[in-house]
Amino acid sequence: MLLVVSFITFTLMHLVPGGPWSREKALAPAVVAALNARYGLDKPFFVQYANFLLGILHGNLGISYTYQDRSVTQILMQGFPKTAILGTTAFVFAMIVGISLGMAAALRQNTWIDYVCVMFSTIFASVPGFVLGILLMIVFSVVLHWFPTGGWGSPSQIVMPAIALAALPAAFIARITRASTLETMRQDYVRTARSKGLLERVVLIRHILRNSLIPVVTVAGPQFAALVTGSVIVETIFSIPGIGRLFVQAVFARDYGLIMGTVLFYSFVISIANLVVDILYGVIDPRIRYD
Amino acid sequence: MAPLLEVRNLKTYFYTQDGVVKAVDGVSYDVNRGETIALVGESGCGKTVSALSILRLVAEPAGKIVSGEMLFDGIDLLKLSKDDMRKMRGAKISIIFQEPLTSLNPVLTIGRQISEGLEFHKNMSVQEGMEEATRLLKMVGIPHPERRVYDFPHQFSGGMRQRAMIAIAIACQPQLIIADEPTTVVDVTIQAQLLELIRNITKELNTSLILITHNLGIVARYAQRVFVMYAGNIVEHGKALDVYHSPCHPYTAGLLGSVPRLDEPRKARLQPIEGQPPDLIALPAGCSFQARCAYSVPQCLKEKPVLTEIAPNHYAACWVSQKGLREWQKQ
Amino acid sequence: MATTVNAANASSRPHHTLWGDAWVRLRRNKLAMAGGIFIIILALAAIFAPLITPYGFARQDLTAILQNPSSKHWLGTDGLGRDVFARLLYGARTSLAVGIFTQVIVLGIGLPIGAIAGYAGGRVDNVLMRFVDVMYSFPDILLIILIKAILGGGIYQLFFAIGLVAWVDIARLVRGQMMSVKSRDFVAAARAMGGMGPYITERHLLPNSLGPIIVSVTFNVPRAIFTEAALSFIGIGVRPPTPSWGSMISDGYAVIFASWYQVFFPALAIALLMIAFTFLGDGLRDALDPKLRH
Repeated sequence: MLLVVSFITFTLMHLVPGGPWSREKALAPAVVAALNARYGLDKPFFVQYANFLLGILHGNLGISYTYQDRSVTQILMQGFPKTAILGTTAFVFAMIVGISLGMAAALRQNTWIDYVCVMFSTIFASVPGFVLGILLMIVFSVVLHWFPTGGWGSPSQIVMPAIALAALPAAFIARITRASTLETMRQDYVRTARSKGLLERVVLIRHILRNSLIPVVTVAGPQFAALVTGSVIVETIFSIPGIGRLFVQAVFARDYGLIMGTVLFYSFVISIANLVVDILYGVIDPRIRYD
Repeated sequence: MAPLLEVRNLKTYFYTQDGVVKAVDGVSYDVNRGETIALVGESGCGKTVSALSILRLVAEPAGKIVSGEMLFDGIDLLKLSKDDMRKMRGAKISIIFQEPLTSLNPVLTIGRQISEGLEFHKNMSVQEGMEEATRLLKMVGIPHPERRVYDFPHQFSGGMRQRAMIAIAIACQPQLIIADEPTTVVDVTIQAQLLELIRNITKELNTSLILITHNLGIVARYAQRVFVMYAGNIVEHGKALDVYHSPCHPYTAGLLGSVPRLDEPRKARLQPIEGQPPDLIALPAGCSFQARCAYSVPQCLKEKPVLTEIAPNHYAACWVSQKGLREWQKQ
Repeated sequence: MATTVNAANASSRPHHTLWGDAWVRLRRNKLAMAGGIFIIILALAAIFAPLITPYGFARQDLTAILQNPSSKHWLGTDGLGRDVFARLLYGARTSLAVGIFTQVIVLGIGLPIGAIAGYAGGRVDNVLMRFVDVMYSFPDILLIILIKAILGGGIYQLFFAIGLVAWVDIARLVRGQMMSVKSRDFVAAARAMGGMGPYITERHLLPNSLGPIIVSVTFNVPRAIFTEAALSFIGIGVRPPTPSWGSMISDGYAVIFASWYQVFFPALAIALLMIAFTFLGDGLRDALDPKLRH
């Protein structure tokens, strides 16, 4: 799968008009030719691709054409921690808020908690991180001066981007959790559990919770993927030096190396996340294990 | 000796958008120690609801036990606190549900589901509970119980799941077991096995049993006394053999007539009861069965019949029966 | 002896068609109605923009830059003296156009592919679904950015870029419908009219799947609008002077501390429009759900 992704990306990248050397002031053709030769860009398409793949096998994702002193791998490694921290924080936040809100709403159906949850999840499930980020920035940075508008380094700088990124997944997860919990609560085995005289708390955790979470885990993977792609824009808004922002800059600069590297990296991360979700799914639901 | 369980005038209603469903409308029955009684009636007549009411498992807020008394060993179950009631469930009174496929939690092992009650009521550790669960599985006839105890419900067949449910019900050695249509969803051959199993266990542990069923074929063999329910009321009750041989209510007669019997000539046609059970929201003024009854008289339309003793220890709620005009018995 | 049997317990309920019933249910859903009305009002405002505001979206007035909302400029002016309200209205045109035209492309690609995959089954289906899987494993925004970078240009290329990536959901949907209908009607079709197979599926397929398709489109429109805004924000969406809420945000971003109105109004507009579509989509989904019919 990654192979196909890489091929498609490679192809597309080379279709982008202009080359990595397009600058505002056009370079002399001779210089361009020399640079191309140096980086192997004058070789036929498939040769370039083959070289690229070979490079990957050695863990080398190529050279960045804008940051010529560092390799793509190095650049990605620099940006990765920031993106990872932001992404993980947002993901954890989304799961915790989403699941708690969803369950609370289902357990106290038709009370104010339920109503708030449904409203919240409907509204925030529609507004993407990008827009929410801007609005948050306006309210909390510009008007109230509570948080800085971006950059990286201190914890306060992560609050808004994380919230902006997490809101949509949180809302979506809350919805799914609520629906799933409602469904589980109606199941016969919950009645069986009660008929054994178990404490309500035990019934809740052992019987209701675990079964309700099964569909939630299923969506966790795609939600994580959405988070990853959402971070591209959010990082740009909040000036976070992460991989998302690097990607955007790379596209502008026609930096082939960096573009390839970031796309592959993203795809890789998403695949890993899906794999983890699959494993988790097997852990939670024994019916899957034995098939 | 006082009965183990005495249900007096129980009323359980459901409050729905369309009206109040009087699922159980003044029902009384009793169970003696070590006795098996059968609660018989067609689907929707309220037998399951009355059983759930005993354990106070009726789904709130829609369902509510409106009035009545349920004396278990002298204690009124309706007056118990929620905590005390919980201590009763599973430990003193337990229930075997009808649907073994959906009544078991798919993500917990069978053993764990059996031992849960033991952990809670008898303070066993998980280890001890699992050991006891293994013993119980053996008792209900599951082969290789020491391995099976770690299986999940989806790895058990329907019949085996029902046996597991039985194991769960007897785990804490309750005094009363309620079996709600325990054999409806399994094959006929398994049905017989399960019923024998239940009978042996109740005899061995001297447990009382309320057997809820619509299958009259099993009533005579397994129950000492029978209570026939229709549209939320008991319409007849007495010793199983008495009710069987001389039913005092046309509905019971109808039920008996509609079941094929081996001792009848083959060419006798089955006699289903015409019509449908009444809507429990809009019950008629007089006898609920009147609309489908071939023997009714004008009084049946106006007054609701009361349970009266027709023969020694044999009661029926029917005006015609009280007058001695039991034509249906002659067929 | 009374023999009248109480047979008429079954109350006959009024028989609605799927669409009539759906419309009634939709009307009752206040949020969905609010969303729909908002969209309609916005669309009308966008279409009749020249009648509503005297300012063009590109008209610069360098004597009146970065003004706060006033009676002369209802929502203020931006860094080049352009009226924010006017730009908002004309930007709505762009957003709605993106919403509509991308869906046309999505349906144009997704419907046939999904139908072919579902109907043909076997190898064809396998190949097409492999392709769909690949597209799914791609982070979609990245792909859109790449495609747009290749195509260059402005709004029309943007339609393509978004459409080219977003058709997968519809294709899957149609394929699923096609396959379930195929298995249902298979017996009848095989028995009766071999050659009329497609005709039967058309008659059964359309009414059944139109509902989910409509819902899917309604949810896809805000995503397309959002994508346009995001891309324009980065700078590779529509090209100036085409108005866009996204580029308004990026323009205003630089001066956010001086005058936050510029960023606020377009952002709010995007948020409201997306919320409106979501409410409408939810309402449509509930209204068209055959399981909820009484």
